[in-house]
Amino acid sequence: MTELESCDSCALNNSAQLLKLGINVENADYVIALAGNPNTGKSTVFNALTGLKQHTGNWPGKTVTRAEGGYRFKDHKMKLIDLPGTYSLLSTSQDEEIARNFILFGKPDVTIIIVDAARIERNLNLVLQILEITDRAVLCLNLMDEALRHHIDIDERTLGKELGIPVVKCSAIKKQGISELISTVHQVAMRQIICKPYRIKGLSKPAQKMVDKLDKKIRKNYPGLPNSRWIAMRLLDADADIIKALKNGDFINH
Amino acid sequence: MENKDIQDLLDLASELRWEVGENFHDTLVEGIYADAAHIAQKTEIKIGEPNPYNFERKLDQVLTSKKYGFPIMILILSIILWLTIQGANYPSGLLASFFLEFLHPILKTGASQVGLPWWLDGFLIDGVYLALGWVISVMLPPMAIFFPMFTLLEDFGYLPRVAFNLDSLFKKSGAHGKQALTMSMGWGCNAAGVVATRIIDSPRERLIAIITNNFSLCNGRWPTQILIATIFIGALVPDSFSTILASIAVINIALLGIGFTFLSSWMLSKTLLKGEVSTFALELPPYRPPNLWTTLYTSLIDRTLIVLWRAMVFAAPAGAIIWLISNIYVDNLSLANITIDWMDGFGLFFGLNGVILLAYVVAIPANEIVIPTILMLTVAHLNLMGAGDGVMFELESTTETAALLHAGGWTLLTGINLMLFSLLHNPCSTTIYTIYQETKSWKWTAFASIMPVILGFLVTFLVTQIWQLFH
Amino acid sequence: MTLHLNLEKLFASLPTLFNKGYVFLFFTALLIVFFILKKYQYLLRSLLPFKYIEKSITEDLLKQLYHITSGQKITDFRMLSRALKIPERKILKVFESMTQNGLIYISDGHITLTKTGKNYALSIIRIHRLWEKYLSEKTGFDKSLWHDLAEAKEHQLSKEETEALYEELGRPRFDPHGDPIPTALGEMISEMGTSIVGIPKGTVAKIIHIEDEPKSIYRKIIKEKLHVGAHVKILTSDDHHIIFESEGHSIQLSTIVASNIQVVLLNSQEAYEEGKVRLSSLIEGEHATILGISSECRGANRRRLLDLGFIKGTLLTIEYMGPNQNPRAYRLRNTLIALRNDQADFILIEKTQYDRTRIL
Repeated sequence: MTELESCDSCALNNSAQLLKLGINVENADYVIALAGNPNTGKSTVFNALTGLKQHTGNWPGKTVTRAEGGYRFKDHKMKLIDLPGTYSLLSTSQDEEIARNFILFGKPDVTIIIVDAARIERNLNLVLQILEITDRAVLCLNLMDEALRHHIDIDERTLGKELGIPVVKCSAIKKQGISELISTVHQVAMRQIICKPYRIKGLSKPAQKMVDKLDKKIRKNYPGLPNSRWIAMRLLDADADIIKALKNGDFINH
Repeated sequence: MENKDIQDLLDLASELRWEVGENFHDTLVEGIYADAAHIAQKTEIKIGEPNPYNFERKLDQVLTSKKYGFPIMILILSIILWLTIQGANYPSGLLASFFLEFLHPILKTGASQVGLPWWLDGFLIDGVYLALGWVISVMLPPMAIFFPMFTLLEDFGYLPRVAFNLDSLFKKSGAHGKQALTMSMGWGCNAAGVVATRIIDSPRERLIAIITNNFSLCNGRWPTQILIATIFIGALVPDSFSTILASIAVINIALLGIGFTFLSSWMLSKTLLKGEVSTFALELPPYRPPNLWTTLYTSLIDRTLIVLWRAMVFAAPAGAIIWLISNIYVDNLSLANITIDWMDGFGLFFGLNGVILLAYVVAIPANEIVIPTILMLTVAHLNLMGAGDGVMFELESTTETAALLHAGGWTLLTGINLMLFSLLHNPCSTTIYTIYQETKSWKWTAFASIMPVILGFLVTFLVTQIWQLFH
Repeated sequence: MTLHLNLEKLFASLPTLFNKGYVFLFFTALLIVFFILKKYQYLLRSLLPFKYIEKSITEDLLKQLYHITSGQKITDFRMLSRALKIPERKILKVFESMTQNGLIYISDGHITLTKTGKNYALSIIRIHRLWEKYLSEKTGFDKSLWHDLAEAKEHQLSKEETEALYEELGRPRFDPHGDPIPTALGEMISEMGTSIVGIPKGTVAKIIHIEDEPKSIYRKIIKEKLHVGAHVKILTSDDHHIIFESEGHSIQLSTIVASNIQVVLLNSQEAYEEGKVRLSSLIEGEHATILGISSECRGANRRRLLDLGFIKGTLLTIEYMGPNQNPRAYRLRNTLIALRNDQADFILIEKTQYDRTRIL
């Protein structure tokens, strides 16, 4: 990446694409996306981060509610976008399409992934998919108090090491862990923390071989694309949206 | 990149797809979950004995049980509706007296002092302003009570259980259990009910819920029902029973609405919508204490104010039109009177009359202004008052209203049919606009708007014919 | 003003016109007309001017001829006329123009497809099967309706539209009934199975094809929830009936119905799953491991179930049932998810930790 050499902490988001998605980034230094499964207390985290500085509307042309807000940290204006809560990014529901397109084409500077600490196995399904698309993410283990009440704790160091991204324990309803989340997000945005996200390994051998083969071809055609492997998987799955995006040349910039 | 390269890439992809088999999606998801299980196993620490979700299980067993599930549900819903209707009375009255009794005369005096011509004064203050004032004072309080309570139940986790309990009932008519929630939301406000259908993630069932939401008797229609039932049905029995009979009649209309919801849902799923994709999956999240203040704030902003704003945008021009048709004269007759005469024959055919039909045409922005418009048009039509035409009003007592309506030629049949038509007619313009926003389809918007009117005419027509068989 | 007066008179007179019982007569008549139209809509087609229906008759004939010649049967006009519900006179007229266009040739009273005709027929079959695939993946139409909808669609899609559809569906090879889809060049892979009738007792096999015509027989098969990809084990069979087991259910079909099901024997890698049952058969207190989702569950529904974590190897238990036992709440990965029973039918499980004490 050439940008890294020229400016170590510049925003990397794709402002042109973001504008198309209805987000004006003129007044913000960094764009932060908030993703996660439904029922993980995502909106509580959103409220804890932005306070009352938020407004709701719809995604352009869609009937999905969008909340956006902002906060300041160390003289940087952060713009926070609440993505629809989804179980996955692989199906083709409106919600998932929005969340996926935002991360894929909008390229937020940081994606915060909210996870229900008592149900991480199930939540990791979405986390691993997001980490295939973006390499700038922070995992927020929310509802920690509830998990502890049910005698479940998480070894966040191991989890962070496994996933290759910073992990922060939170209990948003009690405002616990929010300040740590804010500073971690800032460090990732400033590239003081460089993520090395986990890549899916569990595919069957023949499937893995096909993905690698296609991935190689994509990387040859689009050098420097960070999520070529994910695109390969989507092409094998005949994802009509991704095929269309390829034909439109949406992957060329950046 | 060259087009040829892209084509090559896609060709390679489909070639490999043939090799890997058609269920690559399964392979992919299984692979991701395998990794997830692996990571979870490494990082989850169980502290001592696992603590099962005993409290939640017990609560669920009660809330979804055959014995207690339905009674609890009905109890909670009744409490919410009662709180909404009763609790809204006082603030509604306050707002109304502020806007209509306090501010209106001041504005009128101010206008005459400034020297506004009578027509501009009438158009702006008697037309636009009065309609706005009316809409705000009757719509705002109930919504501000209903929506936060609903959101609190949603955040607590109770609403998915309601959907779970009622799903088998809704499934029979091809609908989703969550439609129970949007239907109840519709009793607050149809526009909000339509927005609430976003919780239904299955496309077919969502369309069904949107189209049939209008059969939920909304907040703006309850007062009409209660007033007409008191005047025409309550009067059939001695005074001591009249309130009970009138209430039974109104409840029956609401139940009839539910009946029509099921019937039309079933017909839609069997005909027009049978090709839409249908998926069902309902997560029953753990019970969690709701965040009171955030809920109050967001439900006020997200739901109440947005709906109110839309209603105001539509009410203002309607107020203007109501004033105009009452004050523009052709051949010594106001436009309103000409239209009423013209529509009267048609109206009688359905056991209604010209005044009611015209009121429903001009009061399309909000059901709340139907009764004031009917009263105003009746007075204008009977030529009871010369001045002040085009001014909506409500009478102090039910007796006065009854006397006026009887003078306008209303019978028991008119009353019954008005109650039916109030249930079965086009959604208000706020709801129509919302339906378009939610479906992005003119076809479904038009269908959802026209179908209930046709149904309304059909039902009132049949009632009238049957009535005539016995009279 | 005169117009307005007349209208007023008309409206005023309407109530008397429709008085008493007439209104009911009127609606009954309307209903009868509606049902007649619905019942005979196929016949009504032939009321249209000939030039509008020539294309679809030609294509229907080609398809019919293709199936007949590949099935080695002798063809005559009467049979075709009956099969397609088109008068013989019209068929004759279409045959003339088809001969002129080089689609068929007639010798010794037999009709044979030319190469062009055969390719044309295959292109129609291609659209038909692609459209059935589309209906199964992207819409919510019931599968008993697929055939008829595809029958109408096959005459409407252009070549470009067909290819776009083929791309959108990810270039499928088989339609939902297990039939191969011909390629754009008119090639068709043939995977031949044998009829389930006549297979010896005790054999285990996999369904690869279910014929969707005639409809009455197809309905009987799908009522048993049999589907392409399901494993079967033959229990007994005689001249009239065949009894076999599939997904934990014992199914009895008459020979005539069963002959529309084609199977292949399981290969060495596929083992017949003995304890494989449907999730809907799980009762309170029982635990199970998911073995997979039936291939009958397609499109958005399948993806949704997978996303929610109903995948091979997942442990789950039933937490509680709704009124009427439907839907039911299942606990998996510490989450409660409610499914309707018809969805649970798609999920195949193996019961684990069989707890005898809870069953009454």
